[in-house]
This record gives sequence, structure tokens and C-alpha cells, in this order.
Amino acid sequence: MNSNEAIVVCRCEEVTYGQLRTTAEEYQCTARELKLRTRAGMGFCGGRTCRIPLDRIIIDVLSNVSRSDIPLKYQPPVRPVSFGTVGEKND
Amino acid sequence: MIDVIVIGAGPAGLAGAITCASSGLKVMVIDEFIKPGGRLIGQLHQELSGEWWNGIKESERLHQEALKQSVDIRSGVSVYNLEKDDDLWNVHTSIGTLTAPFVLAATGAAEYPIPLPGWTLPGVMSIGAAQVMTNVHRVQVGKKGIIIGANILAFAILNELQLAGIHVNRIVLPEKSPLSGKAGEPEEVMKSLLNAAHLAPSPLLRMGSRFMKNDWFRKTGMRFFPKSGVKVNGTPLLLRKAALEVIGTEQVEGVRVADTDANGNIIPGTETVYEADFVCIAGGLYPLAELAAVSGCPFQYIPELGGHVPHHSETMETPLEGLFVAGNITGIESGKIAMAQGTIAGYSIAKHAGKGGTAIVEQLNQSVKNVHLLRKQAAIQFYPDIESGRRKMYDLWEQLYANPARLHTEEKLG
Repeated sequence: MNSNEAIVVCRCEEVTYGQLRTTAEEYQCTARELKLRTRAGMGFCGGRTCRIPLDRIIIDVLSNVSRSDIPLKYQPPVRPVSFGTVGEKND
Repeated sequence: MIDVIVIGAGPAGLAGAITCASSGLKVMVIDEFIKPGGRLIGQLHQELSGEWWNGIKESERLHQEALKQSVDIRSGVSVYNLEKDDDLWNVHTSIGTLTAPFVLAATGAAEYPIPLPGWTLPGVMSIGAAQVMTNVHRVQVGKKGIIIGANILAFAILNELQLAGIHVNRIVLPEKSPLSGKAGEPEEVMKSLLNAAHLAPSPLLRMGSRFMKNDWFRKTGMRFFPKSGVKVNGTPLLLRKAALEVIGTEQVEGVRVADTDANGNIIPGTETVYEADFVCIAGGLYPLAELAAVSGCPFQYIPELGGHVPHHSETMETPLEGLFVAGNITGIESGKIAMAQGTIAGYSIAKHAGKGGTAIVEQLNQSVKNVHLLRKQAAIQFYPDIESGRRKMYDLWEQLYANPARLHTEEKLG
């Protein structure tokens, strides 16, 4: 199990399985709180890679939660964009 | 002035665009990838009829047809936000904000990752990435590979890798854990493979299904599951081996595995290392619905369709005026179905836009029937209970939106 603790789940922010589990167990929190506490899912890919594993960790730690209960929020921008693009300055 | 913005140039998006344009609407298609076709351009398999499904040819046909209908296709453009302003949708893209009264979100699916120790080493990729490298970029992913995860997607792509002359040595399961879920439980995997066995591109699994219809056979089947595996297209499928770690210093050198019991628990002292220079993780697919979520579209959670799906009717409309969906964003199915759903969405949009005259109602009905027909004939079915999942979605639609009062009681993700 020890090598599993070191699995990098969020590759953008380099957050490990161990960190995520410890945080989820300590705070018995929502997926959103887990994200805010660890920065998992807040990196360049916008959580497209680790969103599902994060949901699964929460489901495993909080016995009364199922995937249908997790409305993990999506926020724009859903793709990495430059400030210039958001400001509509494309030249 | 654009009438319809289609997000995604895959089978659903292109078919929808063609249908809209042929009804006289001005259509623009946006896609993040460098060329149109979506995941179609990775697909190559033999149908039950014996005919070959060549995704590249299909995508070229759709592309040419779209151009003939004066559809404006922009590749290499990302959409990062979608919101509505009075009567117009604002589609925020990497080339600026585009507006139109109708949007078709045909954004497809994404892969479930299964994180395991060593998965960040160069040479580890998702099974879909191996497909794109092989069939789209024509790059050899490696000489000797291992697939972690046994599902229909993995078998379909295994077949494609083999056709390209790439050697896959073994298919093993991920280690049972909260991260792998049912994908790490041999009995569950066997069950899901057997449910889809008549569809699977594997005569051996098809043969096995006759003997393993009930739970007792499944259990003994697992207990006596040969250690050397059964062969899927010549590649051993090892349901009783779990991948513990991808090993290597600079890049993939192999996978450390162990034997498991029928429930996926590791049997101590059985560890061994399989050499490999590439590893594919096959976790399966889920609908990629981020843009529908930020638009404020209500969602339903329907596992039979692959998870959270934007709520939609059988004619592909969402509860939001002017927003339509088609393809894998509505549930995981084959490219053929996606294409047929795109056609439905196209007719549906044309009807809402007041195009197509009286014939449009009949065309719309026909296109809905066509999807039912294709689903019955499907060679590849990723989720075995898709039909009941679809039913659930449409029943919920009837309950919530068929009456004009439009009760907004659903969960919002956006």
C-alpha cells in the first residue's frame, strides 16, 4: 500500500493519492473542498484527468456519498486560455 | 451571421452540420483538433456483417459532404466558455467570441484514467492515445506493450494496434483499489465482458459466453480461469493478474504484476515482472460535457450512459432554448450512432429554425427510428445497458419538460 500512497493523482499540481486520502479522511469533505485544500484539479488541464479519481476517493472515504451526489462544479474557462484571448485581443 | 455553431467536428457534429446546412441554415463547425473527424479518424474494425468500418474514409466522406454544403469548418480552435445572452448563444473560442441562435454541442467523450505507481513514466499512455498515435499520427507507440484494463474499448484498440503490426504482449487488470473500482475485480470484469460478448471482437469470448450465463458458472469460471489467460486475438487476457506498478528509470521497462483471487485480492508471494516498452491504461469512456455544464444546462446522472449527461430529449434538444446535443456527450456509443444522432439534431434544429417545410417532421421521425435500428445492429457496444439508460433519460424528459410549465428541479452542474 505504501507505493500507492505515492501515486501522483493530479499530474498538473503533483498531488499524491496519500495526500488526497489523508485530507479527505481528516476533513470528511466534498470533492470541491478536497480540490481547494490540495489544489488537485486546479492545474493546466482543468481537472480533466483527475476529476474522476477525485470523485472516487471521496466516494470511498465518505460511505454515504455516491457519484450521483457529486455535482463537482465546472467553471469557465474550460480550456487553458491566455488573458489576451479572454480580453478578446487576438492580434 | 451564423445560424448554427457546432462544437466538435466528429461524426455527430459533422452529420448535424450537414443536415442543418442542407436545410438552408448557415453553419460553422469548430474543433479543437488539427483536422476534422474527431475520434472517427482513429477507428478501424470489422462489422458483424464482415464489412470493414474505416473511420478515416468515413470522416473524409463527411468532411467533403460538409464542404459541399458550404459548412465553414475551423480546426484547431478551442471553446472555453458557452453562455446565452437574450436570444443568442455566445461561444467563446481561442479565435474570439462567435454568436448564433443555435448551438449543437457534440463534444464527445473523455477517458477514465486509472492512476497507478509509475503511470507518469514516458511510455505510459491511455489506450485512446495509443489509437491516435497509431491511426492518426502513424507513430509506432512501441515494440512490446501491455494493456492495463479489460473492456470493449481496449479490445477494439488492441485489434487496431495488431493491424498496424504493433505487438501487445498481455492484457492485465488494474490492482483493485478505490481508484480502479470494478475494473480491478475479475468477476465484475468477466460479467461485463460476457454481457457484451456477442458484440466483442473476440470469437473466444463469444464461445465462453454460452457456458457462463449464470453466476455459478461465472464463479467457477473465474476460479478455474487459466493462469496463462484466454487469448483475445492472440493476446493473452489475464483476468487473474493485477498490475501493481509500472517500472522503469527513464521510461517504461515493464509492469510488476501479482496473481489475484476471483475478487481481485492480491495473493502474496506471486509477484513477477512483465517486460514492456509501452503501457496502455484502458479505463473506459465518459461523456465530455463541460461546455453543457458551464452553459447552465441541467444534468442527469445515468450510469448506463456513462455518468453525468446533459438532459436531452429523443430529438436531441436540451431544456435550454437553442442548445442541442448529439454523440457521446449524450452517452457512450459507437461512431455510427453518433452520426445518426447528429442527423436527428440537425433536423431538430432546422425544425426549430422554421426550415424544411412540412417534410421536416417526417424526416425528424425517420432519423429517430434510424438510431433505434442502428443500435440493434451495433457491432461495438461500450455500455451493455445503453437502451435502458436512453429510456430513463427520455422518461425523465417527459416528466420534467413535456408539460409547458417546465419545472426546473434538476441538478445544475454549471
